[in-house]
Amino acid sequence: MNLNVDLMINSLPLLIVGAGITIQITAISVGLGLIIGMFVGIARICNVKVLRALAAVYIDFLRGTPLLVQIFLIYFALPMVVGQRVDPFIAAITACGINSGAYIAEIFRAGIQAIDEGQMEAGRSLGMTWVQTMRYIIVPQAFKNIVPPLGNEFIALLKDSSLVSVIGFEELTRRGQLIIARTYGSLEIWITVALIYLVMTLTISRLVSYMEKRLATK
Amino acid sequence: MIDIKNLHKSFGDHEVLKGIDLHINPQEVVVIIGPSGSGKSTLLRCMNLLEVPTSGSVVVDGMDLTGDADINKAREEIGMVFQRFNLFPHMTVLKNITLAPMKVRNISREEAEKTAQELLERVGLGDKADAYPPQLSGGQQQRVAIARALAMKPKVMLFDEPTSALDPEMVNEVLDVMKSLANDGMTMAVVTHEMGFAREVGDRLLFVDGGTIIEQGDPREVFENPKEERTKLFLSKVL
Repeated sequence: MNLNVDLMINSLPLLIVGAGITIQITAISVGLGLIIGMFVGIARICNVKVLRALAAVYIDFLRGTPLLVQIFLIYFALPMVVGQRVDPFIAAITACGINSGAYIAEIFRAGIQAIDEGQMEAGRSLGMTWVQTMRYIIVPQAFKNIVPPLGNEFIALLKDSSLVSVIGFEELTRRGQLIIARTYGSLEIWITVALIYLVMTLTISRLVSYMEKRLATK
Repeated sequence: MIDIKNLHKSFGDHEVLKGIDLHINPQEVVVIIGPSGSGKSTLLRCMNLLEVPTSGSVVVDGMDLTGDADINKAREEIGMVFQRFNLFPHMTVLKNITLAPMKVRNISREEAEKTAQELLERVGLGDKADAYPPQLSGGQQQRVAIARALAMKPKVMLFDEPTSALDPEMVNEVLDVMKSLANDGMTMAVVTHEMGFAREVGDRLLFVDGGTIIEQGDPREVFENPKEERTKLFLSKVL
């Protein structure tokens, strides 16, 4: 076995740009997922039956089907309904965002349910509505609880985002494939790609535990 | 001020309140005692609908909580103090007190903070405005909780075992605040195990057991001359 180190070094600039794009779609998707997840998670435990049911269906469907199939649904199947091509970037962040929204909804639900119910009672007994109490009392405290699982979700999505390479979106994995198509350096490029993913996930998990410690002392 | 008629409350098959009739006059201090599981806390929690009655009516200050009254509006007039304080741990003491007046009563920050500071002085914690609840002792937290409830300028105050979670040496600082409230003419319903407070501050004592009011009257009278066997038995254990 002969490892072509020069190829690895030379491919780095292109791959690092791809890694930047991977981080970008992960961050946008998690941001989108956070907004979706907050509302779906709250809907999951509110006292309106219809909302609860809708939230449950949303979560079940997105966690019960593969992300790859969801990406195909949005990129290939949706245009047949709306009669218009979907931009790969939009398809990528939509699929990843909607998908992580389902996982984050469950994270949120657990985070909210971990708050002592006396907090809700105290808010309501002061005349605040359910929504006001959620907004000012419960959700801000829940955010603190969900930082660690949210960090895990970010890492999971960062890795899963490699799936959008199948629709030709040029993130890290896709760039690796393209370089291999030119150089036939499967071994070198996949090792480099794997190492770049590893560096990213390790950095994020360190960042999350640092944030966790800071929040805990506050 | 509070008018309760034929109040029933069940949790599943378990009937906790079995037909309570109770009228509390303005400025009256009613102390509710009874063994644990007697339904006294549930009765109090029905007075601001934290527990929804199974049947019967609860009317507070002319608002029918079991009827068509806006429950959020009604709760603005009914302050509540909990056994475990339930302060908002992520906010300073000052914010704990100003939040509801600003969000619910739409009072300006300036005015809400001024009122909050006055209330903190009143409960002896004028220097704690910027502290966070977890930094305070239990007794201090409960006094902040009382100030928080008072900031809404309620017409009635409900106390649900306000000293039961406190270390013994902190009980009096809370009872003193409650005493001064009573002296100022606040209408109060107090569930407590503090018999000294009941005797000294209460206008009326209610002994609740098995989901009904067994006996009620002037606290001194009930303590010295209980008429019912169950009252005698209970008092012999706690006095």
